[in-house]
Order: sequence, then structure tokens, then C-alpha cells
Amino acid sequence: MRTLKTVIRVENVQKIYRMGDNIVKAVDGVTLNVMEKEYLVVVGPSGSGKSTLMHLMGCLDKPSIGEIYIENVAVSKLNDTELAKIRNKMIGFVFQQFNLLPRLTALENVELPMIYARVPREVRKKRAKKLLKLVGLADRMNHRPTQLSGGQMQRVAIARALANEPQIILADEPTGNLDSKSGEEILKIFSELHDSGLTIIIVTHDPEITENGDRVIHMRDGRVISQEVRASVGDA
Amino acid sequence: MLEMLKEAFRSIAANKLRTALSMIGIIIGVAAVIAVVSVAEGTSQTIRQNLSAIGSNLIMISPGFIKGGGGRVATALSDLLTKDDAETIAQMCQSVAHVTPIQQGNFAIQHERQNTMSTVLAAYPAIFDMMTLNLVAGEYFTNEDEQFRRRVAIIGEEIANTLFPNEDPIGKTIRISDKMTRQNFKVIGVLEKSGNLLFLNPDRSIILPFSSAEQRLFRRSYVSSIVAQARSEQQAATAVSEIDWVLYLKFQDTDKYRIISQDVMLQTVNQTMAILSFMLGSIAGISLLVGGIGIMNIMLVTVTERTREIGVRKAVGANRRHILLQFLLESIILTFVAGMIGVGVGFLFSRGIAIIGSIQTTVTPLVVLIAVSVSVSVGIIFGVFPAMKAAKLNPVEALRYE
Repeated sequence: MRTLKTVIRVENVQKIYRMGDNIVKAVDGVTLNVMEKEYLVVVGPSGSGKSTLMHLMGCLDKPSIGEIYIENVAVSKLNDTELAKIRNKMIGFVFQQFNLLPRLTALENVELPMIYARVPREVRKKRAKKLLKLVGLADRMNHRPTQLSGGQMQRVAIARALANEPQIILADEPTGNLDSKSGEEILKIFSELHDSGLTIIIVTHDPEITENGDRVIHMRDGRVISQEVRASVGDA
Repeated sequence: MLEMLKEAFRSIAANKLRTALSMIGIIIGVAAVIAVVSVAEGTSQTIRQNLSAIGSNLIMISPGFIKGGGGRVATALSDLLTKDDAETIAQMCQSVAHVTPIQQGNFAIQHERQNTMSTVLAAYPAIFDMMTLNLVAGEYFTNEDEQFRRRVAIIGEEIANTLFPNEDPIGKTIRISDKMTRQNFKVIGVLEKSGNLLFLNPDRSIILPFSSAEQRLFRRSYVSSIVAQARSEQQAATAVSEIDWVLYLKFQDTDKYRIISQDVMLQTVNQTMAILSFMLGSIAGISLLVGGIGIMNIMLVTVTERTREIGVRKAVGANRRHILLQFLLESIILTFVAGMIGVGVGFLFSRGIAIIGSIQTTVTPLVVLIAVSVSVSVGIIFGVFPAMKAAKLNPVEALRYE
């Protein structure tokens, strides 16, 4: 069995916010390695710092203390453009609120990351259509988000996350706003993506999701309090 | 870039009412600039046309002023130039083709029961040629009329209509009078309608042979002014210095007389009008500034409203420059479109003013170019701040924004 590399390395990271006079340590000393092709679930109650950790791993924010390496590149040393490039090419985000742009159609929403990556128009359209077919929305391409159900919106968001063929998918409560049936469908897509070789990181407070993960991390008050390994990476 | 342009158009179109309202400031500003400058430009053109309508290469010589000071009021030197000065200029100045002394004054004019006031001009017959005055009826007076001081008169079109409403004025007698004197002249010609020629309205004037009027009406040996004509446009400047030389020899003081050539007048008019249209245009331009502030306001609202969108865009890979360009492009498009509409509205205004005020207005391509580029600059200047604000947003906070 070949050794798998570490795609995200979190080293003793703290994220400190100032809320008026209070100093809040949203993330308080987390060290964590995420392996290639791993399915990681981060569980914790709200305020446990799991979303902040996800933002840090997704290069949406920089740690106050400590360092995060994405493919061995130290995030704190990167400038805005370089961070934007990592978010664009290496990471795909899926949010609880879907975060589709309301004025754009499903197809155009999926095209968006490819526009910033300067993918030529024809290639872009073709790929966006392929991705929407993949998530089962071939017949909804020209619908706007308001014309779609929650499950459909989340599937558009997943297609968008896959647009630039990233290595890592970061999902923050992806089923939080969905009924259980749509939620299951979304989780099924994540499992399929995992099977196809993507690294999946899901942040949730829903214990049911943990069943899918290779590894589950429990967080509380900004710290990792326990870790359970369900399956060794690469077994699937 | 093309995608961004499309995006910008789309988000502008998404809020039609707001877009229209925020553009109004710029539209009014640009329209005001166009309208005001078109009036100034049109007026300037009218004056220039008038100037070149009064013959060509004319040189006006008029008495100077005694400077005020020490309790004395500055007054025009009325007892300076004479008919002889005109003769001297004619003899001495090689570049001068024609010269005539001018006597000018206002008199009451009467024919039977009709009467009116008119400017009476006494000059040599050369005046008609020099000032390109044409006749609609009768004939000009001649050197012979001048020599024999004949009582003949050429009258302007309006004077003819007033005094002779129902008859042919040619051959009729008019009485020219003021408090001191009363003289009869025979009408031998009527001038073609020509409109205002700057210092003289021929339509409301009567022209008499110089010698005929000199003693009978004006009763003075000093003249109002002398008008000379250079042989050609190229010789105009030479003619001016020749005249200056002749007059300086006599008066030994450059303040005592003034020589104004037509091209100097033209230059003065051009300068004055340029300053005028710049000033008026700038005042109108202030509304452009106000419009710009309106744009900034609306862009700030847009940025706040779309905070979440900015967060999403950053999450999927937009960097600061992308966001900056997106919002800057929006405000530029907004002001450009507003500028173009403003040009249209301004053009209509200018046409309206021309029709209502019966004056000439001219919209030059230059002013259109300036107005549009100024409004686009306004878009850039007032769009930069909101766009920078958008670009600097922290993606995490932007995503959390409700």
C-alpha cells in the first residue's frame, strides 16, 4: 500500500477574536493532519470553533497563532491573490446557506469559479453542464436559485465546488437547512465523491453524519477533545 | 473581463428604479454642461459671423481716453481725430486700400406724418464697399455727391418701413433734425436687411455723404472715428502699424488714440467667449460633482447589500482585484450611460433654447467628449472608494453577513 500524503496540516493553531472588551479564542490550539482521500467529520456544538477551523483550513482566514500548511505551503506567508488562487483551484466550499448568487442561473453559478480561473467560455460551459448532470440537475440548468428546492440548491453548490477540480471539499453543515431525505441525498453525493478520490471535510453538529466518515473529530471550546478512526484511509 | 462587463450590466439592470434615480444627477449635470456651453458657443459663432460680415480686414481708429485721477473723471477725447487724419492715412499708408472718416449721431427723422429716431452715419462712398452693405432699391451715393455736398441719403430697411409704410421711399424727402437744426435729404437708396453688425445696426441707420452732413448736422470738425481697410488679410497687421506710425507722428502719445483691427476684435471675442463658456460650463459641472456623490452613495449601498455575494465570490476564488474591478466597472458603466443620456438630453435642451430664445446654439463634438469623459471620471473617482471597501472585506465576515 502506497503512503498517502498529508494535504492539510494544522499546527498548534489559535484564532483569537476581540469582541468588545472580551477576547474570544474561537480556536484554541488545534493540531491536525488531513490525509489525501480522507473523509473527515468534525463534530461539535455551536460555538465549539469547528466553523472557524474550517474557514482556516479553507484559506478564508489566517490563524492568529500557529500555522496551516496546504500541500506543504504555509498559509500565513501567502498574500491575498495567492490565497484566492488556493480557494479557487484546490478547495471547493459547500455551505449550510448554499450561498448561490441569486441573480445567476444554476449553470452560471457553477461557472463562477472557472471564470476566476480564466477557463475559456466553451470549456467552462461544457464542464458546468457535465457537473450539473453529475449531481442530477440536467433539467434545471437555467433555473435561478429561487426556483430550486433546498436539496437542488445544495447540489448546485456541490457542482460549483467541483468546478475547478479541487482536491479538497470543505462542507459546513451541508445538510443543516435540508429535510432528512434531501440531506441523505447530499451525503450520498459526498460519499461518491470520496470514493472517486477526493478529500472530504464536513463540519457538523449532526451525529448522524459521522457514520460516513473515515475519522471523526469532536471539538468543544475551540479544542479537539476526542478522535475516533472508523476506517483507515484508502480502505474504501 | 468580458464576463465582468456582463456581470456589471446585469447587476445594474437588476435594480432599474434605483439605477435610474442615481443616474439622474449625472444626467442633469452633463445635460446642463452641454446646454450652457452650446449657448455660449452658438453666441460666439454668431458674433464671429457678424464680425466677418462687416467687410473684411477692417481697422477701426477711435479717440482714446484722458485718464482719470486727481478728481478728474476719465473721458473720451472727442476733439482729436479729424477728416485730415483720414486723408493722411490714405496717402501715407501703403497697405491701406480705403479710408473713411465717420461721423455718428442720433437724430429724429420725419417724413410727412411718420417719424422715428435713427443713427445717422456720415461717411465717404467707400463705406458701402468696405462694410459690404448692399442695396435693395435705388443706388449708392457717389464721390460726386460727396464733392458737391448733395442732400442725398441711403436709409436702412427698418427706417424705410417705418417712414414709408405704403410707398416707395426712393426720391422722397426726409427731414433729419435735432434741437439745433433741421435739414432735408432726398432718399436715393434702401439698404438690404443685414441684422446687427456689431457696432452698428444698418437696418436702423441712415447713411449720408460725409461732407453733406458734416456742416449741416454735426457742425464740428472732429470725427467720431476713422475706418480703414487693409489691402488684404496678410497686410492687415502692416496696415495697423503704418496707421499707428502716422498717428503717433501727429499726437506723440499712444494713449490718445486706439487702433483695433478686425482680427484683434475676433481674438478678443474668441478669448472672452472661451472664458465665458469655461466658467458657465464649470458651474454646470458642479452638478456633475453632486451627481458623483449620488453615485458613490448608491455604490456604498450596493456594496453593503451584496456583502454576502462578495464573500461567496471570494470563497470561490475571487481576489481583491476581481472584486475591485467588478464594482468599479459598475460605477463606470453607470456614469457612462448617464453621461450618454445626458448628452442626448443636453442636445434637446440646446435645440429648445435655440427655438425659444431664437438664438444660435452649437453642440461641438469636443464638448460632448469632455462631458462624457468627465462623467466617466466621476464614475471612477466616486466608484473607487466603495469598490475598495468591497475588495477589502474579510471573506469570513462577508459570508456571515445577513
